[in-house]
Amino acid sequence: MEFMIEVVDLTKTYKKVNVVDHVNLYIEPGEIVGLLGPNGAGKSTAIAMISTLIKPSKGDVLLNQKSVINDQGSLREVLGVVPQEIALYSDLTARENLHFFGSIHKMPKDKLKERIEIVLQEIGLQDENKKLVKHYSGGMKRRLNIGVALLHEPEYLIMDEPTVGIDPQSRNHILETVKKLNERSNTAIIYTSHYMEEVEFLCNRIYIIDKGRVIASGTKDEIKSILSSEKTIRLKLEKPSKKLVEDLTLNPMLSNILAKDAEISLTVAKDTNFLPMILKLCDQHHVALNSFQIEEPSLEDVFLHLTGRALRN
Amino acid sequence: MFFALIVKQLKILSRNPLELLVLLLMPVVLITILSVALGPIMDGNSEMLDLDIAVIQQDDEDAQLESFLKKANESMPIDEKLEGNIKQMLPVTLLLDQLTGNEEMKKFVTVKKLNANELKKARKSGNYDVIIDVPKNFTDEYLSSVFLSGSKPSLNVYLDEDQPVTSSITKSMLDYFQQQYSLLTQLSSSSNLDAAVTIPKIVVASDIETLDNQKSISSKIYYTFSMSVMFILYMASTIASLAFLEKDMNIFDRILLARIHPITYLGSIIVSTILLAMIQMTILFTVSHFMFDIQFEQFGLYVLITFLLAVVVGALAALLSAINYRNNSSGASNIFSAAIISILALVGGSFIPVSELSSFLSSLGKWTPNGAALEAYLKLQQNATFLDIHDLVFNLSMLGIGLLVIAFVLFPRRGGIS
Repeated sequence: MEFMIEVVDLTKTYKKVNVVDHVNLYIEPGEIVGLLGPNGAGKSTAIAMISTLIKPSKGDVLLNQKSVINDQGSLREVLGVVPQEIALYSDLTARENLHFFGSIHKMPKDKLKERIEIVLQEIGLQDENKKLVKHYSGGMKRRLNIGVALLHEPEYLIMDEPTVGIDPQSRNHILETVKKLNERSNTAIIYTSHYMEEVEFLCNRIYIIDKGRVIASGTKDEIKSILSSEKTIRLKLEKPSKKLVEDLTLNPMLSNILAKDAEISLTVAKDTNFLPMILKLCDQHHVALNSFQIEEPSLEDVFLHLTGRALRN
Repeated sequence: MFFALIVKQLKILSRNPLELLVLLLMPVVLITILSVALGPIMDGNSEMLDLDIAVIQQDDEDAQLESFLKKANESMPIDEKLEGNIKQMLPVTLLLDQLTGNEEMKKFVTVKKLNANELKKARKSGNYDVIIDVPKNFTDEYLSSVFLSGSKPSLNVYLDEDQPVTSSITKSMLDYFQQQYSLLTQLSSSSNLDAAVTIPKIVVASDIETLDNQKSISSKIYYTFSMSVMFILYMASTIASLAFLEKDMNIFDRILLARIHPITYLGSIIVSTILLAMIQMTILFTVSHFMFDIQFEQFGLYVLITFLLAVVVGALAALLSAINYRNNSSGASNIFSAAIISILALVGGSFIPVSELSSFLSSLGKWTPNGAALEAYLKLQQNATFLDIHDLVFNLSMLGIGLLVIAFVLFPRRGGIS
């Protein structure tokens, strides 16, 4: 099978610490691949190596089975990158920013003019295109940050946490834009995030990364099947109870117990009759159980299962 | 593509009022302030040194001369030649000639003749730094003391002691006059007095001379160029700071991803700095031309020096950017603008003409971009030719090439997170 972009044993070492540790992944044309991991997991460093901006300590990045480590131009030609930071000139307008980045991509004048209009429409900034970027809201800047990467119609798009620090409305707009872009132009996308729901919404395949290593990979269903023998229970109590949580933790039938205020989530084996035991413990600690919900395991649960930590701290 | 990088830089700087204020308005303000504040000292024709002298002549010089000649005729024969020599030695006329006869003296000495009854009023008014009261029969008595016998009469001189500088200058002038007069007296008593002998004029230097026998440099000229060559250096730190901002905000990564080679990017920093520095100097020189009447007669040589200086500034911007990129901090450009420019300005003579302090500082200053350019500009103001400034052209060229080479070596070849 021929993979368009393939990452082989990618490693980056800083001061004897592997911040990216033998990462292997691939992306085929037209698919959206998620890199899911907490902050500091090594996602951005991996992305910088994949996009040829920093040299790996070990390993390789292949485009059509050819290394791009010493031939960055071949990958850069077909690649668009949306950095986590707002990489825009705040003293230029949206249109001027697009024109500048299009010009340095050596786009022909007519084509550039046409693409600027299309991109402004796609990111919903056509009415605000003459405002200086410094006067934009956070969401508008994020949208323009994406627009700049789309301008030259790349075959591959790398998006590094493109929704950090923006309001839910702008976030939804960005997610919809990414989805439509993939469907319409068949652009392959590597999407990094620590928001499990974004990755679940967008991605066909997922790599879960922690402490520089890929700890799980596959389709959503494949990853969730790691917890196929278990189910997730969410309890809503009348009031928080530390002692109840302590007793639940001591119970060998239960695992992955996370308590937040009066809500507790835990996993149990699928065939376990857990309800009488929980009711009994609630009674013992004089805490009323308002409701409970049985859920299929989420990526968050898988991450918790694999690392013992929540995805977002 | 290269053009886009340069246009972007011009647009960004033009939308940054604070930077424009430092680069364009500050030098104009400083040229004005320094020219006005230090001009009197540098130009030597200041109000500070203005001398207002009142002369109250109570004797009639012609009548006094007549009276002396009559008296002298009784004791010795006076032929036409001797009469002519005596007429040349009339003390009050000589004194007034000395005070007003010299073009240089006229620049700062004003002499007003008053009537005898105005002495009291003049002393009370405080309008005069010096009042010279010539008493009755002064000329007759003076000539008699010189050619016949008798005691020497005195002038009554009133000095304003609140003006120590002008008082001191007046005393020196009167002492000098006295010496010259004594010399003439000696010559006459030795029978060597001759019609060709004249009292030497007092020579007062008032302008700074940097080239012998050439056009003088006024404070306005000096500070126009010294401030311009200092403030052009801020262009280097400004552009280097903006370039670092591009790295800090990952814009540099985007530029690299567009398949722009890092050296092409560095080249755009250099070219845009050269352009902006040339524009900055053009604006400053144009303003100086209209505000301070600075002339640029050898236009081509001014363009050459400005271009070479702009190239050095472009190279400095590139070097500062390279260091900033390597250290992942804007420290180099900050230190340059906060400290190094002041040192270069001092050594290069932007504040005071250091070449007059020591030969070492003079030589060192010629190897600073601002110092070399300043000296070249000042020489051009004195109508120097290319041959007179060729050493400074060489220094600027070497500085530009050296800094460019270091910048190209130091500039990192990849972007990315550090």
